[in-house]
Amino acid sequence: MTKHKTEKPSIGMVLSTVPKYSETFFRNKIKGLQEAGFCVVLFVDYVHADAADFACKVVAGKNFNVGFFKALWYSFLAISKSLFVHPKRSYRLYALNKKDGMSLKKNIRSIILNQFFFNEQVDWLHFGFGMLAVTRENVAAAMDAKMAVSFRGYDLYLSPLKHPGCYDVLFTKAVKYHVLSQEMQQELQDYKIACNKIQVITPAIDTHFFTASKRNQYGNVLQLATVARLHWKKGFVYTLEALALLKKKGIAFHYTIIGDGEERERLVFAAQQLGILEHITFTGKLLQTEIKKQLEQTAIYVQYSIQEGFCNAVLEAQSLGLLCVVSNAEGLAENVLDTKTGWVVPKREPEALAKKIEAVFSLPDEEKQKIKTNAITRVQNTFGLQQQHKAFVRFYGLNKEI
Amino acid sequence: MKDQLKIAVYSGDIPSTTFIERLIQGLSHTGNRIYLFGFIKKKTRYPALVSVFGYKNTRVHKALHYIKYSFLLFCFKNKEKQKLDGILKAQSKNLLLDKVKSYPVLWHKPDVFHVQWAKGLADWVWVQEFGIKLVLSLRGAHINYSPIADQALASSYREHFPKVDAFHAVSKAIGVEAEKYGAATEKIHVVYSGLPQGKAHVEKQKTKTVLQMISVGRAHWKKGYTYALDACKILKAQGVKFHYTIVGGTNDIEFAYQLHDLHLEKEVSLIDNLPYAKVQALMQQADLLVLPSVEEGIANVVLEAMQNKTLVLSTNCGGMDEVIADGVNGFMVPIRNAKAIATKIVEIVAIPEVEKEAIRKKAVRTINTQHSEEQMVNQMLAVYQSLYHDKA
Repeated sequence: MTKHKTEKPSIGMVLSTVPKYSETFFRNKIKGLQEAGFCVVLFVDYVHADAADFACKVVAGKNFNVGFFKALWYSFLAISKSLFVHPKRSYRLYALNKKDGMSLKKNIRSIILNQFFFNEQVDWLHFGFGMLAVTRENVAAAMDAKMAVSFRGYDLYLSPLKHPGCYDVLFTKAVKYHVLSQEMQQELQDYKIACNKIQVITPAIDTHFFTASKRNQYGNVLQLATVARLHWKKGFVYTLEALALLKKKGIAFHYTIIGDGEERERLVFAAQQLGILEHITFTGKLLQTEIKKQLEQTAIYVQYSIQEGFCNAVLEAQSLGLLCVVSNAEGLAENVLDTKTGWVVPKREPEALAKKIEAVFSLPDEEKQKIKTNAITRVQNTFGLQQQHKAFVRFYGLNKEI
Repeated sequence: MKDQLKIAVYSGDIPSTTFIERLIQGLSHTGNRIYLFGFIKKKTRYPALVSVFGYKNTRVHKALHYIKYSFLLFCFKNKEKQKLDGILKAQSKNLLLDKVKSYPVLWHKPDVFHVQWAKGLADWVWVQEFGIKLVLSLRGAHINYSPIADQALASSYREHFPKVDAFHAVSKAIGVEAEKYGAATEKIHVVYSGLPQGKAHVEKQKTKTVLQMISVGRAHWKKGYTYALDACKILKAQGVKFHYTIVGGTNDIEFAYQLHDLHLEKEVSLIDNLPYAKVQALMQQADLLVLPSVEEGIANVVLEAMQNKTLVLSTNCGGMDEVIADGVNGFMVPIRNAKAIATKIVEIVAIPEVEKEAIRKKAVRTINTQHSEEQMVNQMLAVYQSLYHDKA
């Protein structure tokens, strides 16, 4: 990239809203890009109250769900802008949409809703999630910018089942894709996306914060934990079924579930029916420092997900020196290398999970230590924030070192 | 005992669910007056003895409803109005809405106020202060799992259940569950759901080469469809030829992903909710109705399938074992066990047609003897009337 629209190469990141303080991935990414000399503009559909101190310029679209007359006024303003302020970009968007077979009504709607992008000059327009690019497939081209799209597990694997054909138009465009794992790269290639258009950049964690302590002393009870939203895709019900099998075998355990979500009632009831409720603690959502403290009391970290892009929590657990048992859901088998840095069990098989946990629990201490050391070394060397920042710089076509 | 009772059947919504509506219709033919209070979702025609005192969910309708009953109470029952205002003020989170809901009940003062859903009980305990008998139905999730996950709800049940005049339990099992929250055993009356009788029973065709299985119900985790789908994976691996339809299973991403994940797209169809008649037709065409639930009171869909002479495979959840005896009038497997479901299906496929027909006939007999609408209405009426024995 030699010629830029602004003094510095500029990236327009597209998200639903400004990442909250706890959403470290995008905050870290934006910080890393700024440190690497990029100018970052954040485009969002709406802003919440605590977004004022965000580190880069934030451009928010208008909220059209505010009553008929206000929406009409916003539409009038957007159409006026498209005619008198950004006629070229607006026409280009209209023409490209039309070429894709978009109806006139949808096309006008697209021009109105996407007008807020056109005030900015960016070299790249990068959609943070696949679904954010749907119906906006031509916005980058209209702005004369390159287009990038990041896919996470949910929007690559689940959104097309919920909205069949949702990426049909997107996949015909000149887009550079960012995915979290080789598995996701393969999934995209199955959609006939050329390999050279896809770059795998795994998630990263703050390895300085998640450093193994020597406080991992447990009693006779096997301490297990998972950090995740209480969502069906995290496979908690299968995990609980595996734990019920462990209980039948007389293995004393305690399982801590850190996280909150819509499935709490389902899980509490499952634990109760399986006769293991007394061995489970639902902590709810915790702060990062509290999570770390909790994990330091844990022997085995379990992530028996049904669907998973990559999973930061597993990286954090490995970095803290926990033994990790995970499912083979999508990116997890790349996150944990089976029998080297942890153990990978086929998903939806609680009996296999129970057997694996039991086997890991009974390993000699030297064997456990070897796996822990491997995991810590690999995470520290491969999944640090600095490595991720460098990978994103390469993604945008710069070889500049941070 | 009173000759004619004024019975309020309260579910919050007008019309309510199929089985509550069936109870309302049945009671209305017993010569008693039936009162319906709450939010009118849809205009519904009821028999002459049913009176609807509901409101539409708009500000204007609610305001008019409130003004009308405030005025009536102020003019003719002001002392009682003041007493109710005091009670509501002490307990209410949304005083105005509670007044909109409660004033008509105080004005019309039924003899019995029958609350259908336990979670709403706390809002209606006040009726006893005005001489109205309080009856509570014990149904499904409200008793079986919500209070396990929600401690505040459990303590609310412990506070209010001892005050209730009578409980209607949809199964013996749910009655036992309610006792954990202080429901007195002698106040619990088991009244099973009833179906209208006299349906022409279709002759079932012999099982086809491809086993046709069906489940009917909303896409909710308690229906246990994930276990049925895991069982389908086992069946497919064993080479069993089957097709499984989940009516009401569309738009659920968990099931859609499981199908995709287990490569069951050809063997399983997730279809939308259908009108009652179409569901009955589909059920009649199926060889086997599967109820893989982890929680139920007694599933009405199972009763309907048995009446339709469709074989039923149910999990042993809630009160299902009060309807089905394994191998006698249907089949039963433990909850949360995909392997058991698959194994039982293989066994069912191998049963000779003569034996299957005998099981179907016994299923119909069970429905006729234990789940008739007439029985349900008479037993419910007996519960209401028993509350007035002392007064007689």
